[in-house]
Amino acid sequence: MPFLRRRPPAPTLILTALLAASGLVGCAEVPDPGTITVLNSATDTHEHDEEQKFFDRCAKPLGVRVRQTSVPADQVASKALRMASSHSLTDILELDGSELPQFADTGGLVPLADAGVDVTGMSEGAVSMGSFRGTSYGIARSVNSLALIYNADLLREAGVEPPTTWDELKAAAKKLTRGRTFGMAFSATPDADGVYQFLPFFWSTGGDEARLDDGKGAPALQLWKDLVTSKSASSAVVTWNQQDVNDQFIAGRAAMMINGPWQVPVLSAQKNVTWEVAPVPVPEAGRPPVPPIGGTVMALPRTGDSGRQRTAAKIVNCLNEERNQVAWGEAVYNVPTRTAASAAYKDQNPKLGAFADQVATARSRTGRVGARWPVVSDALSGAFQSVLTGRATPDNALKQAQSRATAGK
Amino acid sequence: MTTTVTTSVTAPTGRPRPAGVPRERRRATLLRWCFVAPAALYMLAFFGYPLVRNILMSFQHYSPRTYFTGEAPFNGLDNWRGVFDNPLFAQSLWHTLVFTFGSLLGQFVLGLALAVFFSRRFRLSGFVRAVLLLPWLVPMVVSAVVWRKLLDQETGVLNTLLMDLHLTSSAIPWLSSPNVALFAAILVNVWIGIPFNMVILYGGLQEIPRDLYEAAALDGAGAWRTFRSLTLPLLRPVVTVVLILGFMSTVKILDLILALTGGGPADSTQTLGTLTYQLSFQQLDFGQGAVVGNVLVLVSAVFAVLYLRANRSDFGQGK
Amino acid sequence: MPTRALPVPGTPRRAGSTVAALAVLVVLLFPLYWMLNIALQPGESLAATRWLPTTAGWDNFQRALSSQGGSLATSLVVALGAVVVCLALAAPAAYALAQFGLRSGRAIVFATLITQMVPGIVIANALYSAYVELGLVNSTLGLILADASLGLPFSIVLLRAFMVSIPREVVEAALVDGANRFTAFVRIVLPMSRNALITAGLFTFLFAWSDFMFALTLNTTDDVKPITLSMYEYIGAHVSDWGAVMATAVVSAVPAAILLVLAQKYVAAGITGGSVK
Repeated sequence: MPFLRRRPPAPTLILTALLAASGLVGCAEVPDPGTITVLNSATDTHEHDEEQKFFDRCAKPLGVRVRQTSVPADQVASKALRMASSHSLTDILELDGSELPQFADTGGLVPLADAGVDVTGMSEGAVSMGSFRGTSYGIARSVNSLALIYNADLLREAGVEPPTTWDELKAAAKKLTRGRTFGMAFSATPDADGVYQFLPFFWSTGGDEARLDDGKGAPALQLWKDLVTSKSASSAVVTWNQQDVNDQFIAGRAAMMINGPWQVPVLSAQKNVTWEVAPVPVPEAGRPPVPPIGGTVMALPRTGDSGRQRTAAKIVNCLNEERNQVAWGEAVYNVPTRTAASAAYKDQNPKLGAFADQVATARSRTGRVGARWPVVSDALSGAFQSVLTGRATPDNALKQAQSRATAGK
Repeated sequence: MTTTVTTSVTAPTGRPRPAGVPRERRRATLLRWCFVAPAALYMLAFFGYPLVRNILMSFQHYSPRTYFTGEAPFNGLDNWRGVFDNPLFAQSLWHTLVFTFGSLLGQFVLGLALAVFFSRRFRLSGFVRAVLLLPWLVPMVVSAVVWRKLLDQETGVLNTLLMDLHLTSSAIPWLSSPNVALFAAILVNVWIGIPFNMVILYGGLQEIPRDLYEAAALDGAGAWRTFRSLTLPLLRPVVTVVLILGFMSTVKILDLILALTGGGPADSTQTLGTLTYQLSFQQLDFGQGAVVGNVLVLVSAVFAVLYLRANRSDFGQGK
Repeated sequence: MPTRALPVPGTPRRAGSTVAALAVLVVLLFPLYWMLNIALQPGESLAATRWLPTTAGWDNFQRALSSQGGSLATSLVVALGAVVVCLALAAPAAYALAQFGLRSGRAIVFATLITQMVPGIVIANALYSAYVELGLVNSTLGLILADASLGLPFSIVLLRAFMVSIPREVVEAALVDGANRFTAFVRIVLPMSRNALITAGLFTFLFAWSDFMFALTLNTTDDVKPITLSMYEYIGAHVSDWGAVMATAVVSAVPAAILLVLAQKYVAAGITGGSVK
């Protein structure tokens, strides 16, 4: 009879366990005066350690330490909001550039000028990325952009020069498509990745994110559609994020791709792929490329503690000294935002010159629509997804996108 | 073996006299409630409170600013109107229903088939049955990532296999065609759900007394008839549990779809779960996100009530 | 003792069945094989994964263990804690619902069901603000309490179904012998429900083990980071290290797999108990 067996009464066990567990309760957050806190998205171990190196370098002379909390990039905004509601926001908040306006709009960020952070000498795009309604709230140490990365061997074998215009791009992609290798790969996922990749095409043909239905952006949709219908690019681009695109390229399944400088360490580790970088092709020869500028910005939340805020501002200023910007840019394969630092970076990294050049003319995603960017971005991704899957013509898709972007507004 | 303790062991000991004094009876009732109270209080705190808060939130202008200032002014039906005006809402609702019923059908039929199959005694049966539960142990984020690779149109193993075996001439756009993606998502979810269904249904099958089968066999009933008129009816209470719990966890699914398709292509796998995520955490419109969350609870409740009415005797009754 | 059930009669075609079972196994476990395969292959490109890890390397596993070991321990503590809390709450409640004939019993079971309808994201968000007040953010206890909610409704339903079949007379006999309701419950009902308790505990463990939403929401620092979250961070970084991710996934499934194998024989017996009469 199993039920007659004596056992220690369960509640006692439970009580003991609960008591033991309660010893693990974290103390209420009391800010340590000697520690400046940072929330960022540096979850990658290498990136996290690099960040820490720079923070330490800048914090040591001030006699403080820096503690990072890193969460996945798409979680930074919501985590920061939760922290704000519990008055536990970090002293430095490192946001994606596209999220800055929404935060600045809440009134929860300190204007950089008030905090004593200087943004003079930064490239125009970088300043614009950190601004909301004409005021700087965020400062970018380095930024990235997009370029055309191509497999030099495959291009040489096919006798193709790196394309500079859309017509050349289509012709080259067609010529490079052989067997299981596509001429071209890009990301068209319905998220930040896809939209980021669509923008250089959309903008360089005159598209306007504030007026999606003005017809000017339609040729960009048509270009993507043509690449897919001519089978020069896989119809699976609608499911490939930028990492997947890079995977396809490395595996030799794509001769050219659109991608960013953060892929460089992975690309460089490949022995059997020779890769080169060129600017994103433009609609017609002579038109300037208009790549998007991306990356994170550092902002200073209003924590109500002016002493800590001053310390945080000093750290941010130090991180943005020319020497530190160049070193940081090299560490994460992004381009420094100080014009002078960018030039130095280009001298030292000739292979990434195309990226450095792109950044000079690159445009911020939130410059025109500000805090409405997430809605607009969603509408844009709806447009290219429906065109690529054959559910709408470019013109119709943009009309729908405009009504989606302005619905309820 | 403890499941089938018989009454004969203890039946003769007699029954205690019912408490005669009202006060004593009240005390007994109180004591009984003491058993329920901790769980009830816990559920109020961990389910009731969030639900009420979410309902309130759906009538508030709840923006990023709210997190800084704590102010969330009531705005009547604005959020609800905003959601119902959004063409994505109707689409998402439809996708949610298709996804849920498709998943349930697949999980249940395959789970039941496997449960019946493993009820036979054969070599390695126990081992294989245990190992089949492994997919369940893998966090959904990871399952989705593996499946995304398996289903990749160009380099995925599934397409490579199908094409090498000449079962299809061109690559199947599992996740990249709006016409196929929802089906692919269902396929993956069925895969995830089979172990749960199989375990519970197998347990239910074990409870059906063997002599009933012997009687059926004596009456000359074939395998299929026995299954239909004996196994299924006796299994019904378990089936109810499986289907209700399955429905409720499937209808609000989020992480699988988010990691598999992100709602695409062209919103063809957008469900109420992904929509509430998108509204709340990407557009930071928490009021509208709360509306969709409430609709989700409502859909769940409606189906639960309908189903329980049809199967009144199976669920929630005492002895 | 009645004979144990053998539901489907018929001549067992043993070898055939075994072959069929193995075929099912191969098909259903293929994605897991692929996970292992990726984990064993060095190199960066998932697009070029080979069918067999011919040059198997354990580097990924070493990296996974060294970087995720702490998170694995956290997951273990949290999941076990959640099991304890969940069973402590569910068992008495299920017993009362099954045996006392409480008039509102049906309503309570229905309420239990409603809890299953509330999306996790809604719960997590609301809990965060409550946790801030209570000082439970960034604490192991906070996460344990939240994770217990994942298994509680299911455990109550399962245990109730089982306890309905415990003959009332058994308990009443003990009451006659001078035990009160509570000691009778602890000494008699709980041991009799062993299978069901193990099953409910196992399910709760699995739910808590794979929890992601609460771990993500209820922590603002890296102090309490379960394996699901630290794995998600791997995937979330720009340049993903797929081999390490998959190795971590494999490693993360091992404790749960061991537990499952150990508890396996109780599960079938405990799962439905008395719900079929």
